[in-house]
Order: sequence, then C-alpha cells, then structure tokens
Amino acid sequence: MSKTTSPLTAATLSRRTLLAGIPAAALVLAGCSANAGTTSTTATATTGATATPSATASGAAAAGSVAALAQAFQSTLSSDQQSTLLQQYSLANAKLWSNLPQGLLSGGMGGAGGPGGGTGARIGLSLGDLDDAQLAAFDTLLAAATGSGAGEGYDEIQQHLNADDYLAANGGGSTYGRANFYVAFLGTPADTGTWELQFGGHHLAVANTYVDGTLAGATPSFRGIEPNAAFDENGRTNQPLAVKEAAFTALLAGLSADQLATAKLSDVYSDLELGPGNDWAFPATRQGVQVSTFTDAQKQLALAAIAGYVDDLADADAQAVLARYQGELDDTFIAYSGTTALTQRNDYVRIDGPSVWIEFSMQNGIVLSGNHPHSVWRDRTTDYGGTQS
Amino acid sequence: MRRLGAVVAALAVALLLLVAGAPAASAHVLPTSTVQLDVHESDIDAAVAIPLADLESASGIVLADESQASVDANAAAITAYLLAHFAPTSDDGSAWAVTVGALTVTQAGDTVTTGLYAQLTTTFVLTPPAGDQRRSFDLGYDIVVDREVTHVVLVTVRSDWAGGDLGGAREIGTIRLDTVTDTVPSLHVDLGDASLWSGFAGMVTLGVQHIQQGTDHQLFLLTLLLPAPLVARGRRWASVAPVKTAVRRIASITLAFTVGHSITLALGAMGLPVPAGLIEVLIAASILVAAVHALRPIFAGREVLIAGLFGLVHGLAFSETLRELDLTGVRLALSLLGFNLGIEAMQLAVVALVLPPLIVLSRTRTRRYSVLRAMAAVATAVAAVGWLVARIGFANPVATMADAIGVLSIPVVAGLWLAALGAALGVMLSRRRAERVGASAPPSRASVAHEQPRREGEPACRDAPAQNRGRHPTGDARADQSARDGTNGERPHRVPHHRAEHGEQHGRQNVGDDENHVLQGVGAVQHRLGAEQQQGDQQNARSGAEVAVVQGDAGTRGADGGSAEPGAAALLPA
Repeated sequence: MSKTTSPLTAATLSRRTLLAGIPAAALVLAGCSANAGTTSTTATATTGATATPSATASGAAAAGSVAALAQAFQSTLSSDQQSTLLQQYSLANAKLWSNLPQGLLSGGMGGAGGPGGGTGARIGLSLGDLDDAQLAAFDTLLAAATGSGAGEGYDEIQQHLNADDYLAANGGGSTYGRANFYVAFLGTPADTGTWELQFGGHHLAVANTYVDGTLAGATPSFRGIEPNAAFDENGRTNQPLAVKEAAFTALLAGLSADQLATAKLSDVYSDLELGPGNDWAFPATRQGVQVSTFTDAQKQLALAAIAGYVDDLADADAQAVLARYQGELDDTFIAYSGTTALTQRNDYVRIDGPSVWIEFSMQNGIVLSGNHPHSVWRDRTTDYGGTQS
Repeated sequence: MRRLGAVVAALAVALLLLVAGAPAASAHVLPTSTVQLDVHESDIDAAVAIPLADLESASGIVLADESQASVDANAAAITAYLLAHFAPTSDDGSAWAVTVGALTVTQAGDTVTTGLYAQLTTTFVLTPPAGDQRRSFDLGYDIVVDREVTHVVLVTVRSDWAGGDLGGAREIGTIRLDTVTDTVPSLHVDLGDASLWSGFAGMVTLGVQHIQQGTDHQLFLLTLLLPAPLVARGRRWASVAPVKTAVRRIASITLAFTVGHSITLALGAMGLPVPAGLIEVLIAASILVAAVHALRPIFAGREVLIAGLFGLVHGLAFSETLRELDLTGVRLALSLLGFNLGIEAMQLAVVALVLPPLIVLSRTRTRRYSVLRAMAAVATAVAAVGWLVARIGFANPVATMADAIGVLSIPVVAGLWLAALGAALGVMLSRRRAERVGASAPPSRASVAHEQPRREGEPACRDAPAQNRGRHPTGDARADQSARDGTNGERPHRVPHHRAEHGEQHGRQNVGDDENHVLQGVGAVQHRLGAEQQQGDQQNARSGAEVAVVQGDAGTRGADGGSAEPGAAALLPA
C-alpha cells in the first residue's frame, strides 16, 4: 500500500481533471475569494489552503494524535462545513450508520420495517463537498485512525471507496461513489472528553469512540462489499474484503466434521442478525462450537479471523484489542449456516465471544450479478464506546 | 374503484420508469412478509404475502423456479408448512380453526429498495372456538420467521367493521426474532372495543373518505354544477341565471345524483352483479360528458335527469367498497346507511365549499367566469379522457396525474374564495367611489326604464328598489356599445331565463311574451343583491336613491372591468 501518494486525493484529482473547465466552481465551494487565474488542474489542489475557517478547533490535543489530526482537518474547513462536521455526541447520532447508500436512507426508505436499513440518514460532511486540500487533511486523519496492514484498515477503505466508484460507473449511478460517504465528529476532538470519529457510506461504517484521548471502542464496524470479486478501479486491482473472507474460509475449512456439525446453525441467515439499528441486542446464549475444544492451530485460525477485523484499527489500538479477545478466546464460539464455502446466498459465519461479535453473511448481488457479503464487528461491552443510552 | 385507481397508477408509474430507463435492480432492503386481517362477524380472514425465496429457505421446500406451476406442484407440502406455523389461540389457550385458501404467486417489491421479487399470496380463515369474542388473541404466526433470522412480518388490520376501523392499514405489530432470547415472541392481537355504533360510525367515515379520495366522483358532480349559475341559449352558455334559480338547480342536481347513487349502492351492496370494469369506464365517460356540457350546453334543462342517471352508475362503484366488506343483516343495513350518509355529507361539503365562490364569480366577473369555466371544463375533459383510456386498458400519464390531484385541494378552494371575495370587495369599493361621484346625480324615472334603451348619463330608475337601475356616472362604454348593438336601440336583453330553464320549449318567437316576466325576474335579483350590498355596506344603503346609485355603479364596474353587475350581466350577450 502507498500512503505517501494518498490514493484518496489522487482519485479525486483524476475526477477533478474532468471538471477542469470549471475550476471556479471549486473556488466557490472552497469559500475563498475567487483568484480566478487558475489554469491547470493542480490549481484546484491549492484552493483549500486559502480557505479561511472562521472557527478553530477547541481543546488541547497531543501532536500527531487522532484528535490533533481531526482538529487539523477541521481547520481546513469553512465555518459552514465545520458546523456540518461537528455534531453532538449522543447514542442517537452514533446510531446513524447503515449498509445502505445514503440515497436510500434520505427518503426514509431504510426504515421500511425490514432489516438492512438503519435508523436514518447519515450526518456530517460528504467527501464530495471537500476540496483537495481538505480531502488530503481528511486522508491523513483516516490513515492515523485506521490500520496500516495491506488489505486492512486504511488500505481496505481505499479499495472500498474504489468499489463504490466502480458501482457508480457500472450501472449504479450517482447513488454510489465516494462522494456519497460522510464524515462527522460527534463531540469535540481533544485529549479530554468523549468524541466519535464517524465515517461511512454504502457498505461501510467506521465508529471510533475516543475517551480522554484513548480509543474506547471501534464498533459497530460494518464492512460489506460489492463487487466482491477482484476488480480494477482507480489504477489498481481491488478486492477489499479478501483478507477477511480468506480468514473465515480457512477457519471453517480447518474444522473437523464433528466440529462443523456442532457449529452448524439450523436457522437461515439472509442478512446479519445484528445489522444497523439492532443495537445492544446480543443473544444471551452463544451458539456453535466452543473454541476451547480447538487445537492450537485451529485457535490460531479463529484468532486470525478476529484479527481480520481488529487489524482495521490503528496498529497500537489493534494490538490492545486483539490481546483482550485472545484472552477470551476459549469462551468464544464459532457458528455457521449454509455452506462453509461462504460464497452462496445465505452462507453465514459468526464469531461470538464474551466481548467479540463478528458475523458475515453472503447475499445476492444488487447492482452487479455476483453475490456480495455484509459483515459487522460489534463488541458486547465497547460498542459505541460503551454508550448504551 | 380506488383499488383500480391504484392499479392504474402503479401501471403508469411502472411504464414511466421503464421509459425513463431506471436501473434494473438496486435491492437493498430485505422483502418482508405481510399479514392483513379482515375481521368479520364470526371469523377473521388473514391475507398473507410471503416472499417466495424466503419461504423456500425457511421451509426447505425446493421449487424448480418461482412460477405458479412450481408452487402448484408443491401445494401439499407448502400448505402443510403454512398450517404448521399459523396457530392462533384465544386468551384462555384454546386453539382456533385455521384453513388456507388458494396459493397464488404474484410479483412484488420495487426496484429502488427491495428489488422485484416473487411472493406467495393466500388467505387464511381463522375461526375462534364457539363463544369466543375473538377480539383478543395470540396470532401464533411464525411462518418463515421461525427459521429465517432476519425476516420480518408486518401485521395490520385491513378492516374491522365492529371496531369502526375500515381505514385499511391499522398497524398491529411486527413478528421477528428477539435476538437476545433467540425466540420469536408470539404477537398478541387486541382489537379493542367493538359495537354496532362504532361499525356505523366507521362506515360514515369510510363514506366521507370515499368521496374525499374519489377525485372522479367529485369531478363529475362539480363539473355538472359548473354551468349551474348560467343560462343556456342555443349551443352556448349565454348569461347568468338568478341566484335563486342557480341555487335551486344546484340543489336538485345534487339531490338527483344522490338519489341515483343511493339506489344502486343499495342494490349493489345487496348482491346486484356489478361489472366493475365497465362501471369504471362509464364513470370516466360521465365526467367527459359533464365537461363537454360545461363548455357547450348539450343537455341544458335536463341536468337533473343526467345527474340521476349517472348517479346510478357512480352508486354501483360505491357498492364495490361495501361488497368487499362482505356484510350481512343488521351490519349491512347500518353500513348502507352510514356509508351513504358519509358520502352525502362529504358531497355537500364539497358543493358548499366550491359553489358559493363560483356563483359570486359568475355574477361579478362574468367574462372571467366564462374563462374559468372553460379552463376547468377542458382540464376535466382531459382528465376524463385520460381515465377513460386507462380504464379501457391503456395506462397513461394523464390518468396518473389526474388520480394524483385532488379536486378539493386547499389551494384551489382558497383561491376560489379569495377570487370571489376579491371580486365582491372590488364591487364594494367601486360602489363607494361611485357614491362620491354620483351622490349628486339626480334620481330619476321608475322601473319602466327597463324597457328603454339606457343611454349615457341617463338616470335609470330609483323608486322601487326591486326594479332600480343605476346610472353610469363614469360612463359605461361596453353597456352602451351593447345597447347600440341591440335592435332599435334597445338593450339586447333577449334571454328569457325561465324559458331556458325549461328546455327552451317556447322557442325564440316567444321572446316578446316573456320579456316583462324576465325583466321582473332580473329586477328581483337586483333587489336581493341590492339588499346584500346594503348589508355589506350599510352606510350606503339608507335610501332608495343610494341603492340606485350603488347598483348603477356595479353596472359601471361590470362594463369597465370586463365583468358585469348581475342585472346587466343577464342582459349582456355572453
């Protein structure tokens, strides 16, 4: 992966190239007095720097911390943008995430009684409303808040955004694409107090809650993807969920027939049990096969499947969380439904421990013809940083 | 008929979407099952829709494809599965009898949220043990949700006569997995109190809603009433009828429509076979006929008969609603009464809201009323043609739009009242102005002046208020022009109102015979209007002379403003 070239910005630049005929529009968006001598596409990249925010982020934050980078991002924004970005810290706001694209949430369609919806439209700033300098600042923040491993964390999110651009260009239309992803700060980013970095869009939810400068929870964390197979977009080959899916498949493939029989759920899972909107509703009883019965090799496979999600966090955070889950591994259960290949509709796998809750569900294609998965990582104690009301 | 409207609208929307080339599939929201309860006197019907793919997953029954034939081939297994997962129980625990009807595959969903999918529809009949009052029970439904973790069942009451609930979609609750306990809690249904009275009241409400939402019924009656304040002359709507005549005509047309649809509503509800499709076509045709008549009189004087005849047609459509409720005996009788009362009440409300401003406008803004009438009639005709074509079987955007716009929209009614008030106010203001100018004008000759050509500056009438004509202090170009156009210098007041009302049976040669009569009628109208004006402007109405001035000014305004004071309007060619 290549953090130095910042694919997020690069992708936007390439799109801006198409809009080079109207650089003035970008200037207006950036809220600066139009210095209309811009003649090249690179000129738009400088416009953000001239934006003069009328408000500055408050609260001390250690240099290089996520809070400090959040403040740095905030300071690139106009006052209108800042008021859209900064939201109250509350469970009600924190619950505003979904697997659905924003376009299906705005009209109130998401809450149409069925699962797979959520509680309402996302809040915050659309990436489509950021200029290149602002995007670069956001990119730096995102990189600091997420993991550095290949195919995980930051790199996975870049591939994820590429996937939505791919959908937009291949039949999905303007409902899809990275312009439909939103970032919000719930509360004030600082070394003291509670705030959440909320970022998401179609098939993606990042929910990092920080209390007094420390990551207090990184869930509910939603990852789904379409297309699920590898595809080329924005100058690279992408397969955002490849690491996670490979770990699940290896885990189930590593179980004996007896273990699989114990792990098999009788129910049918056409989607996630604890998807958006189903908060703090963890099953009282764990189902499946208990990891304590596993061989060491099998335990490593289970831990690897968990790490597939935990490694989305910034590396130091990931280490701490994974250590906690490893300590609870023996009391963790593995369950599945459908087939162990995890490629067919209604194929399903779940990891359910004293703290960790990860489920993965394969479903029909939506925009494209191939099947596509949904998955969610929750934590029985630290979802929303522990905020239950 | 509302259902047909919905179908037509849905088809039209589907057509539009196809034309617009909307993305084929963007399904994100999982399809749900629905259970709609129709609560009858002795049992409950449960109309159920289940997404076929979910039924297969949950039941383990494998269908070759999602076709009717596949379902038919597996009907026994499907029926057994369904009955095993639908077991209502009374609150004392006793089980209800459950039967299941025909299994039908239909298409459902929409392209934006759920995608299009096949669903199984059927109707269960749930019969409580003898003596159970069946209004409080456990639904005992866990079809699909027993095994499909993410599935959701929405339960509504579609109709509950004795509960007075005929709105169509009272939510009872949802059936879904409780993830904490990993169980599917049974849905308890409490339908609440029930009585004949609430059933009756519910029917009144339903009748009101039926007219409120039945754009076509409203449109027919209103369009028929549109020319009611006017008098036909030959093939044209020529002039304004006296208020009394207009009101009487409106009342008799409305009554005839009521009598007509009451008769067939009763017959239809009691079992007279109703060719629903044909009736819907005829209703559209009736609106078209009324719209043409509003443009050019084609059955002047026989409006009452037409209203009655088409009332028979509309009543058959009303009866569809009652038939769907499947009522008998006392409930049917109460329903007929209540439903009809609701229809009449709403119909009267529509007439009371729309007609008064129309009458005012027809008298104060005669020419503009002609334009308004023509525009409304043409718009109605377009809507009627759209409906007609749609109901014959060709969905079209015109019908969709016509379904979408309610006639009795608040802006339209408010606009009419504002226009009427504005017109009345305009008359009043210019009357005051004229009072200042004309206060010194000498009051003059008596009512015989009606027979005389009225000339510029010539005082008209003053003594008997019933016959007064005002003078024209500021000039009356059009009235004068009209007067000059008349033969022998007489004003062209050749429209015998009562004759037009009686179907022109007298013929034109009788004009002379009718003239005095007619003019007295006009004078009477003037008198009434004068009295109203006095009420509205008491300062001006203290003497006959003042009334004369007032009325004369109204005539002036009419001439100046392209509209006419009532008396003058009646005498002007339209």
